Amino acid sequence: MPAVDLSHIAKSFGPVKAVDDVSFSIEKGELFGLLGPNGAGKTTCLRVMLDIFKPESGSVAILGGPMNESKKDRIGYMPEERGLYQDIPLERCLTYLGSLKGLSPAEVKQRAAGYLERFDLTAHKTKKVKELSKGMQQKAQVIATLLYQPELLIVDEPFAGLDPVNTQMVMDLLREQHAQGVTIILCSHQMHQVEELCDRIVLIDHGKVMLYGALDDIRRQFSAHAVTVRTGDKIPALKGVERIEPVNGTVKLHLSPGTQPQEVLRSLVAQNINLEQFEISMPTLDEIFIRVVQGEGAAA
Amino acid sequence: MKKILLVLKNELTTIISRPSFWLALVGLPLVGALIFTGIGAINKSASATQTVSQVFSGPQDTRPEGYADLSGIIRQIPESVPPATFVAYPNETSTRQALAAGEISAFYIVPADYIQKGEITYIRPDFNPLASRGDQSNLFTWVVQVNLAGGDILFTNLVNGPLKVDETSLAVIASPDENNPLALWTPYIITIIFYMLIVGSASLLLSNISKEKENRVIEILLTSVTPRQLLTGKILGLGIVGLGQTVFWFGTSYILLNLSGRTFQLPSAIHLPISFLAWGLVFFILGYAVYASLMAGLGALAPNLREASQATFVITIPLIIPLFLSSSIFMQAPNGTIATVLSLFPLSAPVAMMARLSAGGVAWWQPLLAAALLAATAVLIVRAVAGMFRAQALLSGQAFKLKTYLRALAGKM
Repeated sequence: MPAVDLSHIAKSFGPVKAVDDVSFSIEKGELFGLLGPNGAGKTTCLRVMLDIFKPESGSVAILGGPMNESKKDRIGYMPEERGLYQDIPLERCLTYLGSLKGLSPAEVKQRAAGYLERFDLTAHKTKKVKELSKGMQQKAQVIATLLYQPELLIVDEPFAGLDPVNTQMVMDLLREQHAQGVTIILCSHQMHQVEELCDRIVLIDHGKVMLYGALDDIRRQFSAHAVTVRTGDKIPALKGVERIEPVNGTVKLHLSPGTQPQEVLRSLVAQNINLEQFEISMPTLDEIFIRVVQGEGAAA
Repeated sequence: MKKILLVLKNELTTIISRPSFWLALVGLPLVGALIFTGIGAINKSASATQTVSQVFSGPQDTRPEGYADLSGIIRQIPESVPPATFVAYPNETSTRQALAAGEISAFYIVPADYIQKGEITYIRPDFNPLASRGDQSNLFTWVVQVNLAGGDILFTNLVNGPLKVDETSLAVIASPDENNPLALWTPYIITIIFYMLIVGSASLLLSNISKEKENRVIEILLTSVTPRQLLTGKILGLGIVGLGQTVFWFGTSYILLNLSGRTFQLPSAIHLPISFLAWGLVFFILGYAVYASLMAGLGALAPNLREASQATFVITIPLIIPLFLSSSIFMQAPNGTIATVLSLFPLSAPVAMMARLSAGGVAWWQPLLAAALLAATAVLIVRAVAGMFRAQALLSGQAFKLKTYLRALAGKM
């Protein structure tokens, strides 16, 4: 049973079709990437998922069925546009948001203490939220989302505004949650982090699903007909290799149509080339993203 | 229900933890009490009106007033006028000299052609429209009237008040004395008080929602509570604050005025039975529910507090209409067709019905019907506004359009 199942969702705002026939499923315990350029329809998808928006057509099943009030307490949502009460102390803000998810003030206090310590915010818990720096507020928002130990965690651009140290901290936290069996939907522009964290992704552009599936499969789908080789030797002309391109200390061998990578490997070994690395060239998610968004990729 | 209480508690805690709340709550009656206590110490026997007057004009002048009767109509000063209240002078020059010498505080000139023109000149050394003239001007009028009637006091009394009607009202709620100006002004005063209470309390919700929208908290809240729970909790929480604040202000004013040596009593001409207070509570709560919801909807759709505030006038028009009509319709014909329609129409009922009830003579079923209609309207508006909270996120950042707001209220969004 998938944790989230969106089936043929459509949602328009006036003449603009924000989401058009979008379908994807997220398995329980999965760390799933929801990608897309600005204005692609990602946030609308999330809001439809969370029952903030009603879709014009299609259906949503979340945690095993339609959304209801009790399920809301099992979902943690961190929207892209962060929202915390600015005029009250951080601790009281966390207590209120936690209490709305069914936690007692004592539980909030106990759970928040660990996160505040971890994010180096203990000394700032009595300060008003508006007195905290942007990065601190971002971390406070993460704490507010994780406080009630949700089964489904939806985080929209969780690394925005964080320095590299805190970015790593949030990444570790997401990995921890994933290890504990929490289903996570990571919505981000930062392909590097998505690549590191997610097993499967969906890429939306102009409200439509452009790519959907396992990250490895997608990369393979977009892989050029090439292999990457790292060696200290000079690579000679090889049968079936059309072009040799140096890339950051490695060499990319562009293969002619019909040539198999194994054939090239055999040729290299036969010519006594000392290989430190040999792999089929895979595009980065960044490259795939750009190619799809610029119109190279086909809709899934 | 639990989440409604959580929202309510949060609103209460947030407001009462603000220093500005306590400053307004305690400061207002405190400042009033300090003023009245100070003045009370100066003159404990003065009436409240005289006391206020003294703030602007200084202590009341106890010197006599002079007059120069050039028409010759004042032949006697009635015995009811205390001695040395008025001093007669033969002409204007001598009167002016007495004023300059400080023997009198002011003087009247009754010109030779008074009988033809009916004009008397009153001269005082200073100019202060807010200053009290004490009882002398009324007394001088009385002196002139008695002399015009040839010194016949009984006849003068009859001319001043030719009818002494012993009026018995058949209505359940007694009508106030129509001859008493204070009683006539009661609906006007009640209209203003209820308008201020409802709009003031409802405006708290407008700023509250606008702030949450600007802070982007609403989207997070909506993943935990339903729009209706959120709205209900806010309306109740801020309503309790508004009602509590009002009760506190009235209560402390009463206590502090007594402590400062004043008594706060409604004049006997104004009849406000207990049922009036009960209806007041009902119409305040229902009126607040309607207008707080409308303000909340406005806050939800407008991108910021500035734009929201500009549209509040449109929303409060139904309450402003009775305010404008209070001096004509509600004071003169409180049970006429226009007043009745306004008091039954849900959006103007909270103010209009209270104005009518204060005037008296309202049929027993009318406040019941008005309250029922108002309650039904409150339910519909709370529902419609709760719906706007979903659409709010949708419209976030868009400029406020009245048409969009009205469509949303009608559920067409």
